Amino acid sequence: MIGLSQFLIISAALFSLGIMAVLTRKNAVNVLMGVELILNSANINLVAFSRFSAGNLHGQMYAIFVIVIAAAEAAVALAIVLSMYRLLKTVNLDKADTLKG
Amino acid sequence: MDPQIVLDLHSFYPEIALTLTLLAVIIVDLALPRIKKSATFLVTALGLLAAFICTLPLVHDPQGTLFYGMIAIDPLAVFFKLFLILTSFLVLLIAPGSRELSKDHIGEFYTLLLGVTLGMLLLASATDMLMLFLSLEMVSLSSYIMVGYLSHQRESNEASLKYILFGAVSTGSMLYGITLLFGMTGSTKMTQIRDMLAQGTAGGDNTLMLLVATVLILAGFGFKTAAVPFHFWCPDVYAGAPTPVTAFLSVAPKAAGFAALMRFFFTGFSKTAGAGPWTALPAINWTVFLLMISVVTMTLGNLAALRQDNMKRMLAYSSIAHAGYILMGTVALSEQGVQSVLIYLITYLFMNLGAFLIVIEIHNRIGSFNVKGYSGMWHRSPFLTIAMTIFMLSLMGIPPFAGFFGKLYVFGAAVNHNLAWFAVVGALNSVIAVYYYARVIKTMIIDADAEGAEVARIRLPWTTHVLLWILLIPTAGLMLVWDRVQQLTLDSMKIFFG
Amino acid sequence: MDMNLLTQIVFYFFAILTVGSAVVVVFSKNLIHSAFALLFTFFGVSALYVFLGADFLAATQMVIYVGGILVLLIFGVMLTHKISEMNLKSETYQFWPGLVLVTVVFLSLVVVMLKTTWHTPAAPAGLNPTTATIGELFMKEYILPFEIASVFLLIALIGAAMIVRRRSA
Repeated sequence: MIGLSQFLIISAALFSLGIMAVLTRKNAVNVLMGVELILNSANINLVAFSRFSAGNLHGQMYAIFVIVIAAAEAAVALAIVLSMYRLLKTVNLDKADTLKG
Repeated sequence: MDPQIVLDLHSFYPEIALTLTLLAVIIVDLALPRIKKSATFLVTALGLLAAFICTLPLVHDPQGTLFYGMIAIDPLAVFFKLFLILTSFLVLLIAPGSRELSKDHIGEFYTLLLGVTLGMLLLASATDMLMLFLSLEMVSLSSYIMVGYLSHQRESNEASLKYILFGAVSTGSMLYGITLLFGMTGSTKMTQIRDMLAQGTAGGDNTLMLLVATVLILAGFGFKTAAVPFHFWCPDVYAGAPTPVTAFLSVAPKAAGFAALMRFFFTGFSKTAGAGPWTALPAINWTVFLLMISVVTMTLGNLAALRQDNMKRMLAYSSIAHAGYILMGTVALSEQGVQSVLIYLITYLFMNLGAFLIVIEIHNRIGSFNVKGYSGMWHRSPFLTIAMTIFMLSLMGIPPFAGFFGKLYVFGAAVNHNLAWFAVVGALNSVIAVYYYARVIKTMIIDADAEGAEVARIRLPWTTHVLLWILLIPTAGLMLVWDRVQQLTLDSMKIFFG
Repeated sequence: MDMNLLTQIVFYFFAILTVGSAVVVVFSKNLIHSAFALLFTFFGVSALYVFLGADFLAATQMVIYVGGILVLLIFGVMLTHKISEMNLKSETYQFWPGLVLVTVVFLSLVVVMLKTTWHTPAAPAGLNPTTATIGELFMKEYILPFEIASVFLLIALIGAAMIVRRRSA
């Protein structure tokens, strides 16, 4: 029987992998892929809980909106990354250092 | 069409006005290319005024939720709507005077400003976790774009890149935490979450999961309000963004974030004992989290600001510290705590925008944000120097300026809640803060000009004069109308509890 | 073959596909490999939605994520490297500390998740088509987010175009 736990473990794995990509990768597009993994893991959670916890489709509605938001965010993020490439000829995050932190 | 929705639309006029203005600005920008700078400015200003006027009658609406429980109408929401529209209006007035914003494409800037205002209005009244997340993302996305507005400039681009990457991860983590709450309670409405959690489904098992969910959700709130440890984006973004955008970010999205935080914790995670103050749910003592975050935020913000020479970075760390003080008001889980937050935000709006306006003006003249360039300003423009002195004194919390009252109420709320030591920490932090605010005043008044520097008098355009007076009068004279302010915040303390 | 067993085999196949592709996305040295592994991750997630009875969502996931976001990401990869570089390398920093931290996060998440009593009111219903219900919900309970999402997308459109536009001299 496929229960709730299997889906939760998969989503936890995707979440952790997404965090890993964000923390360790230097290429901006790679970091974006990590962000997409995080959002997908949350979506799996939402749909799984929608079926097992809520018994209605509200979780799936929430997931649709998350997909919309993820698409818009990816578009703007890539616009910024492309702008960076135009300025610096690279998208290596190490080179983004004019603003000393 | 569902009749309930049509009824709800009557309470939705401010947001409708903002949306229509947004569309109008886009059309005007395209249709009238020759006068588009002034035309778009005028349309935006009128739209914001219309939204403000439409919000006023909402005070009389009965407390309740709109659109099937998505957003709430209550005095707190009305207060924040007025506050946020006012902030956007002031930033709209400040923006054209800055040399940084490209005049050619300023129509798009106004569009984004309207979009972020719409998002903030919804963020301050959201009672459903989906609506909270959607409006949070709307505010954040518009902010990312506004920060990266000067996309051909390296600093602006870098700032927006760091902002969006950090923000996407923080809000993604918050979303994950929201899904865990959804799983534990079966609902996304804050009221139902509270009811389910209060029922005591939390045995020893669920406390851990509630903890994890709360920490993840705090990632999103901490990001929006720039609280430690989610503040890393703040100095770089504030320094790299065009200064009017920085001024806006330091007040408005932060305030909207606080509104959402209060609404989430006070109506989602607390229960009220009749007409008395709230008590945190026994399942999770979240006030402890906010307490720790507040202390660390105040201290780190103040300590880091000590070492900054760049005015924008200094004001960034100062705003982080102020977020720590505001969090103090939320820890005091009572209506007095809410009132203190509202008062602090009112004072903070005027003094912070005032400080940034002067930073913009000086940058227009000397082209630098370094505090050393401010030396001898007393001779070049006494008015600017006096105004900056007042804003700095107010930020320090010196009476009789507005900042003092904000801190007074916040510390008072902590003391009344048996957290006197917390107020002492806050007071100590204020003392540390005196140094870096005073350094600006000292540089402007006492330091002699550098060799060969310009000593020409600075003549300010009349628009700046008017704006400075608009911001100075509340900062310096708030105590004259103190009764009205107090009454306003007292009336706005009520949160819809459902 | 027993239907239950077959279902389980197919489920675990898609689960391993999803998580395995995600591992490739995160750990691969080659950026193009990461991008295409992401494709398989999205595909696997879509299959998982089907297992949860979310047919409309599975189709939406494929169309928007693979057809939109992934294509955009691959454009991003291609447009941000010189065309002559055949070997698109992607570097990492602080790999081992990050790996340790993330493993700890994953294990603690799993442990806490398994110990929690989730809110499960009843056994899940049978698998029904969801599109009609979703359509109704969009017009009733979720009408406000629906309308706000459209303004949100408009702003994202304007913003993204504004950022990438070439400045006229």
